[in-house]
Amino acid sequence: MSLLRLVPRQLLRHPLRTLLTIGSLTVAIFLLCILRSLVTTLDATATTARNDRLWVQSAVSLFVGMPAWYPDRIAQVDGVQSVARWQWFGGYYQDPSNFFAQFAVDPQKVVDMYPELIVVEGSADAFVAGRNCCMIGRGIANDFGWKVGDIAPITGALFPHPDGADKAWELEVAAIYEPGARNFDDRTLFFHWKLFEETLTTPEDSPGVGAMVVRVKDDVDPSVVMGAVDDLFMDGPQRVQTTTESEFQAQFVSMFGNIPFFVSAIGGGVLAAVLLACINTMLMAAREQRREVGVLKALGFSDARVGSVLLMQSLFLTLVGGGMGMLLAKGIEPGVVAATSSFMPGFLIERETYLMAFIITVLAGVVAGLLPAWSTRKLTVVAALGARD
Amino acid sequence: MNEGILLQGVTKTYSRGGEELRVLDNLDLTMDEGRFYALMGPSGSGKTTLLNLVGGLDLPDSGSVQVAGQDIRSLRGAALSAWRARSVGFVFQGFNLIPVLSALENVALPLALTPLSRKERRRHALAALDLVDLGDRAGHRPGQLSGGQEQRVAIARAIVTDPKVLLCDEPTGDLDRAAADQVLALLQRLNGEMKKTVLMVTHDAAAAARAQRIVHLDKGRLGSIEEVQAEQAAGAKP
Amino acid sequence: MRGIAFSYHLRSLFVRRSATFLTVLGIGATVAVVAGVLALQQGFERLYTDAGRADLAVFLRPGATGEGDSIFNRDRGRRLINTVPEIAVGDDQQPLASMELYLAVRLRRVSSGGETNVPIRGVQPATFGIREGEITVLEGRQFRPGQDELMVGRSLLGRIRGCELGGTIVLNTTPFLVVGIFESTGPSGSEIWGDLDRILECLERTGPSRILAQLKPGSDIAAISARLKNDKVVPAQVISEKESLSSQTEMLSAVLKFLGAFLGVIMGIAAVFTATTTMLAALADRTHEIGILLAAGFRPVGIALGFLFESLILGLLGGLAGCLLVWPINGIETGTTNFQTFTEVAFGFRVTPMVLTVSILFALVLGLLGGGLPAWRAAHLAPVKALGRR
Ligand SMILES: Nc1ncnc2c1ncn2[C@@H]1O[C@H](COP(=O)(O)OP(=O)(O)O)[C@@H](O)[C@H]1O
Ligand SMILES: [Mg+2]
Repeated sequence: MSLLRLVPRQLLRHPLRTLLTIGSLTVAIFLLCILRSLVTTLDATATTARNDRLWVQSAVSLFVGMPAWYPDRIAQVDGVQSVARWQWFGGYYQDPSNFFAQFAVDPQKVVDMYPELIVVEGSADAFVAGRNCCMIGRGIANDFGWKVGDIAPITGALFPHPDGADKAWELEVAAIYEPGARNFDDRTLFFHWKLFEETLTTPEDSPGVGAMVVRVKDDVDPSVVMGAVDDLFMDGPQRVQTTTESEFQAQFVSMFGNIPFFVSAIGGGVLAAVLLACINTMLMAAREQRREVGVLKALGFSDARVGSVLLMQSLFLTLVGGGMGMLLAKGIEPGVVAATSSFMPGFLIERETYLMAFIITVLAGVVAGLLPAWSTRKLTVVAALGARD
Repeated sequence: MNEGILLQGVTKTYSRGGEELRVLDNLDLTMDEGRFYALMGPSGSGKTTLLNLVGGLDLPDSGSVQVAGQDIRSLRGAALSAWRARSVGFVFQGFNLIPVLSALENVALPLALTPLSRKERRRHALAALDLVDLGDRAGHRPGQLSGGQEQRVAIARAIVTDPKVLLCDEPTGDLDRAAADQVLALLQRLNGEMKKTVLMVTHDAAAAARAQRIVHLDKGRLGSIEEVQAEQAAGAKP
Repeated sequence: MRGIAFSYHLRSLFVRRSATFLTVLGIGATVAVVAGVLALQQGFERLYTDAGRADLAVFLRPGATGEGDSIFNRDRGRRLINTVPEIAVGDDQQPLASMELYLAVRLRRVSSGGETNVPIRGVQPATFGIREGEITVLEGRQFRPGQDELMVGRSLLGRIRGCELGGTIVLNTTPFLVVGIFESTGPSGSEIWGDLDRILECLERTGPSRILAQLKPGSDIAAISARLKNDKVVPAQVISEKESLSSQTEMLSAVLKFLGAFLGVIMGIAAVFTATTTMLAALADRTHEIGILLAAGFRPVGIALGFLFESLILGLLGGLAGCLLVWPINGIETGTTNFQTFTEVAFGFRVTPMVLTVSILFALVLGLLGGGLPAWRAAHLAPVKALGRR
């Protein structure tokens, strides 16, 4: 008869309490995993982007375009393989709350530069061939029920259709893609620069070029190209800022400001709740088991062995609870991915997050177990056996 | 060398609310090996305190306590625990079985401190249960046993490691007459057949009469030691 | 009778004080988290809603969702100002209307050196007439029309490079001198202001984003909007400034409210479980007492209500603990990007009476839910069995 056999027996003594404690831990560890992953996902967005693609934007503002002749000028810089134009379109489907990203682009170049865009329905060639064709992500195809061949009517909030603000831009879905990399979302629409440029007739509507993606030749140091491009327009007419793709994405991440910090702070509150739940249960258990502690000590069991019975109970509670919390998080992950993909693509619970959750689980178990175990050390047999109840 | 129980000049005081309470006062007491002693005295006279000192559950303020040749005051912490596991068995008034363990598991518990194999432990525990006539109740939890049965399981647990000394604190206090008789007979048998030194605290004169000697304690001092008539003790046997 | 029951339950909470304490803290932590998120939401929303005026009209390009994606031709904007009769007239007999350019420019943070998007607003002199009393220059002076001068909102001070008296902010290639620091209620406290025409030119913008105008008393904004919507020369949509500001809070407010609710539910489950555990232990401790009460003729319902009362007290104490925990964040300044305008705004946490009320109610609900099962069990104890248990 090993003392450890006492552990499951004691836990089963109050099955409901055991279940409730495990339940508390389950939801708390689940929440920790999700919160932590929100932060790591934001960070990863910036770090997993490719660095052989450079982004050129106006150095003045996110919302200011560059003159239309810039792309040709940049294409002449040493080491540049090709330059693709991107313009944020800022439209919506039917209602402004149906938010997703649309870009006017040079279609062939984008298809070539972005092997991450994996076309799963229709074809990239069809997208490139048709002037009013577009390529959309699986996410928006599912949300709005668009299939290849359908017309996607996009209202231009930023670029109203010249025939009237109420008139939508009509784009034919020629390809549906799924992202082949984590940092890529599945809720973007690409359409032809040509259509964009030719539809907007008045000069004051024309925004110039919002951004450019520069593909650097294979054997060239991107930072040299970055410097060269920036220097070209140092004295105007419009200064530009060239960054790697990861830095480009990092600027959007940094827009969240202190929010990631708050999310972490909330995690602290959750942690406190986890600990309190465990300690509460273990103190109750220890109180009930005082008499038994006394008996074990009288029989000659060492403090360490008697304490380990309590410690093991605590660890069992937290490990089962924490394990279930992690499983729950894993199970719910696809749902969170869908819910957050529009503003934060690629939600993923990383291995490190599970490791962190595991460590917290063990620590909570140890703290909640050691506390009562420690107090039994000081408990004399006489006092323990004298205790009524 | 005395292999029994030897107390010399034992003093124990408790302080309660700033007030010193001298529970045992310079007590000298010798108990011979292999004898059955009853310890009597009014409530609060220090019987339990004395028993705890003999069992090494508590330490005296001064004086020496020797049990089976061992000076208890020379032991500390883990060594004291180990000595206790080896040398004394406890039987309490409230049985103090572990409710979530079966009778057999309760009895086997002290064996977890020995190097015995799992199989041997089980064999020893079953033997001890058989000795108290409860071999057929091995799988029962304490809650499924009567008080008398519980106390016999507790006795089985106390002797499973084959200690020289059995310390019983009012073992029949919570039992009815018939169950008490069974427990007392068992203690007598353990003393007679297995040569255990038994020290039993009791209130009950009838129970005390089953012992060989009665030690009277009064306000922390030794009253008298009375030799129980052999025929009286024998006659009390069922 | 009732008084006895009341103190009986309070005493019971005190006797079991370590469990009471831990449970109260558990509920408190949950409440504090939810209250913290709500305080953030309140701080953000109130920044916008407290500031907006109902008598100011904002003219935007039809179809624009805000001033960020609105643009007017400068001449036509002038014309619009001159042709809308509802626009009030100032002491100088000029219309109280100002064309404004709004643009988020890239500037660097003082702390990290990282870039952020700071809103810059080019305004016309009439703005100061319209905003009389709303804008206070704390240090330095106003910028002068036609000059390369700026004044910066106080929230930017120390956060954004160049935003200090005498500092320099480069717009594209033109350096502007910071000549003033101003304070304002509302989000414009995080903005940079300068002369409309200088900024239009330096940023190579073709025209202003919106027109801000003070209306004559009794003007009907909706009617103006309906009239101008399909205007042949200068089509425009018109909303009040109040509406314009509050519409900018919808997205982040909704996200924060969702976050608060989500955290409340998930952490609430854990807190309810803890409270239930505690109350079940209280029940186990008192089973014998309850047996005596039942035997003495007390009604089970009364005993169940007693347990509910006790756990409500736990909830209340937890709510108070949560409010105490969250109180210190009141007023702490923070910043995030308003993704509707893509600019960074600074605001403080606001622990408003609404936040406190919601917190306490939430805590009471947690307590009530935690007491439910134990109360039910207490009501269904069989007296004989309860008495039998020691
Ligand atoms: N841990 C303690 N602290 C203070 N006083 C104690 C303690 N243990 C026992 N006492 C007191 O010592 C006296 C003797 O107790 P005890 O040995 O249990 O008596 P008995 O077993 O003879 O009834 C009693 O008055 C008791 O109240
Ligand atoms: Mg006693």
